[in-house]
Amino acid sequence: MIGRLFKIIFLVIFFLLIVSMIVVLNTPKTASIKTQDGKTFPDTTNLRQLNGELVNPLEFTEGKILVNIWASWCITCLVEHPFLEKISQEYPDLKLVGINYKDTISKANNYLERNGDPFMYSIFDNTGSFALKLGVTGAPETFLIIDGVIVEHRIGEVNRVIWEQDFEVFF
Amino acid sequence: MKYFFSLILLLTLICQTSQLYEGLSDKQLERLEHISENIRCPKCSYGNINSSNAQISRDLKEEIAQLIIEGYQDDDIFEIMEDRYGNYINLQTKPKDNLVLYLLPLAILVISILFVTIYTIKKPK
Repeated sequence: MIGRLFKIIFLVIFFLLIVSMIVVLNTPKTASIKTQDGKTFPDTTNLRQLNGELVNPLEFTEGKILVNIWASWCITCLVEHPFLEKISQEYPDLKLVGINYKDTISKANNYLERNGDPFMYSIFDNTGSFALKLGVTGAPETFLIIDGVIVEHRIGEVNRVIWEQDFEVFF
Repeated sequence: MKYFFSLILLLTLICQTSQLYEGLSDKQLERLEHISENIRCPKCSYGNINSSNAQISRDLKEEIAQLIIEGYQDDDIFEIMEDRYGNYINLQTKPKDNLVLYLLPLAILVISILFVTIYTIKKPK
């Protein structure tokens, strides 16, 4: 009688453990940083370009725009830069906008003169406040925006492999 | 001389800390400390923004200080951060996220007690 009862207890506990294991394994893993996919691109009113001109906020509300966070002090940005140049040639209709992050105007301009300028223009965000609003964690980061909505957000370098895997599907 | 330099260093550190978050009362500084202890650095594999020296951690701490000054409550600030970076950013776990972890041992205990009680009652003398 005792043996039978303990067998039942054991089986019930075992069953509960199996059920809980299945539940835990099927729970989506949330311990990773959320990208900004699906969010609306923040308002760019009052932001200035590297040349001092005001940014037109309406430009971000329609069409496809690739926004890249870069800085002259960022080594990975330098590695990524030639690929952005290629993208600007391969997709002439795609607007490439840079966000110059926590930098100085002179260093940023020198960087573009030295390495080429694939961007239509670069927004000057020396305090990083706009980037923070955008959900940027550092440089480089790249956002593909379609009609004002972020459809792809890449934290880190974009290269050919990443482009084909995550971005090309939108073209 | 050694003590003199230590004192100068200490005073410099105190001055720098107070200048970083100007406009915050002692209570607000405590809140900033509490929130910063529980917000994960988005750029690091582990650690909160208080313990991290990454640029983004310093920026976030400044933003949180600003939000406190603007009158936001702690829960609102956690919500803003979670909305931006996901619940990965929040180091405080909510019981509802780990219900299995809390309830399973309790369920096993209750079932075990139930079985033992039934067995004891029904046990022939």
